[in-house]
Amino acid sequence: MLALREILHSKLKFALIALAIGLVVALTMTLSAMSEGLVTGMTGAKGNLDADAIVFQADTYLNLERSLLTEDDIARIGETPGVSEVYGVGHVFISAKAPGESLDTHAFGLGGDFEQLPIVEGKGGTPADGEAIVDITAQADGVELGDTLRLTPIDRELTVIGFTESRRYVMAPVFYVNLDTYEDLRAATMFGAMSETTDAELPTSTHITDAVDGNVSVAAVKLEPGVTLEEFTASLDADFEAVSPEEAALAGNGMPVMILAVNGIQAVSFVIGALVIGVFFYITTLHKTGQIAAIKALGASNAFVYRQLLLQILVLVTVGALAGTGLALGAGAGMPPAMAFDPRLDRWGVTLALVYLMAFVGSLFSLRSILRIDPATALDHAEH
Amino acid sequence: MSLLEVRNVTKAYGSGRGVVTALEDITFSVDAGSMLAILGPSGSGKTTLLSIIAGLLQPTSGEILIDDRAIHLRSSREAAAYRRDKVGIVFQDYHLIPYLSAADNLLLMPRLAGRVTHDHREKAHGLLEEFGLGKRAKHVPSELSGGERQRVAIARALMNDPEIMLVDEPTANLDTERGMQVVTMLGEHVRGRDMTCLMVTHDPRMCAGADAVLRLVDGRVVAEE
Repeated sequence: MLALREILHSKLKFALIALAIGLVVALTMTLSAMSEGLVTGMTGAKGNLDADAIVFQADTYLNLERSLLTEDDIARIGETPGVSEVYGVGHVFISAKAPGESLDTHAFGLGGDFEQLPIVEGKGGTPADGEAIVDITAQADGVELGDTLRLTPIDRELTVIGFTESRRYVMAPVFYVNLDTYEDLRAATMFGAMSETTDAELPTSTHITDAVDGNVSVAAVKLEPGVTLEEFTASLDADFEAVSPEEAALAGNGMPVMILAVNGIQAVSFVIGALVIGVFFYITTLHKTGQIAAIKALGASNAFVYRQLLLQILVLVTVGALAGTGLALGAGAGMPPAMAFDPRLDRWGVTLALVYLMAFVGSLFSLRSILRIDPATALDHAEH
Repeated sequence: MSLLEVRNVTKAYGSGRGVVTALEDITFSVDAGSMLAILGPSGSGKTTLLSIIAGLLQPTSGEILIDDRAIHLRSSREAAAYRRDKVGIVFQDYHLIPYLSAADNLLLMPRLAGRVTHDHREKAHGLLEEFGLGKRAKHVPSELSGGERQRVAIARALMNDPEIMLVDEPTANLDTERGMQVVTMLGEHVRGRDMTCLMVTHDPRMCAGADAVLRLVDGRVVAEE
């Protein structure tokens, strides 16, 4: 084929074009993985809860930190038609003294099955009081299996018994604890370290713990087979608000605005990519105006010439896509674990499809110039 | 019998007071198996005439007939098919594809028509042998001399067995001796294949190899010899 022969004849020129396409692909893929990493880092612990619905206290705008459900609330949610299982999930801010530096992070109390946490190191199952399963990105702060971390200023300790993955919240590794430990941490966080001794002036830790006993932030709900989220939401008491885990993940903490910004950056990179690829092929087409005029004068149709261009684009974009994927993976491998980088095949597949699409759109610039090339110019040399 | 007939062809550019007439009422015919030299100075309209016969330009008035049938090219697709099937063009600057070997430049013609067969490859090699380029078949144009490129261009024009061969200033880039050789060789091939050849030249010496000469000045035929 003409297109392939030309590529083989001008290897350097086309290698540089493929490299430029590869850089565009690497840029868009890296942005995609970083935005995905940002979403996972911000919301992984929420979005990956094993549930069909997450129930918040009404009027808390799906905010995990503001929602508060009592033991009675959890029971009422459990009685809603279509619910097969419900468990409480509590959230509390903690500061842990890690070997590296202090971690300003979050503890999640899980009232449900801890088997939902994928264990990548250590042991799984429900942790005992004072134990935690931690997102593996905590290792970047020097946290190791078996470490006992001091929580400040509440004077508590958590021992790391296992590491899980993709369970960060607001970019910090989540510490998963049982509900009793959660309640203790919450009480201590609310009122600081307290004396066990009875004092007429101050409430004791026992009083406080009793006061928050059974309280959690949200309820994770599993629905009976065939029951939809809409049906469940319709039956739910007005004191509560339910959404899917994915929706819950993307709510609060400024996530909608952040996602909008990240999507905007990706959209701009795609537009710039389309222009770059389009301009490259437009310039190569302009350089070949005389040659294209001659081929058309010899009897080539516009479709024939455009097909050759499309074939070249297909080959170069494929080579560029492979190179770009390699570059993006390399960039990801070189990033520190705490960095938001979460390559997902489906998103990269979409990215690649868009790269092919923008290459095609870019080729339309060239098609316009191909159509405008007058074959008569092949014979035209300074006279009429 | 005339294979090619040009009948009252006029070509004008522009409109109103700015109109420029490149060709005015050109009429002539050429028999099969003969070669017509179109001689004229720069700006006489000879390339415009060649472009009209090649279907690259539409005449303002008049018509082109091949085998007594008028050529009506209603679209660029029809014009491309006409050039592919009926016409062989040799450009002044050769316009060989720089990344294709001599043989592949010849095979470009059947490739434009759809597909390249074993017969086409045999034919291409036969033509290259005929033009003394058998050993240069795998060389790209940048590895060929000016004369060799000219011969490849002529062989390419013959590849699709055209009824009409249009040759634009075949000796412009060659010295007189080589130019004469090319014209002589061209005449032999045209007569041997019973096709019609129109050769545009500004050099009167090259007309010696032609069967007839048409002199153009300012877009008009001033003499037929």
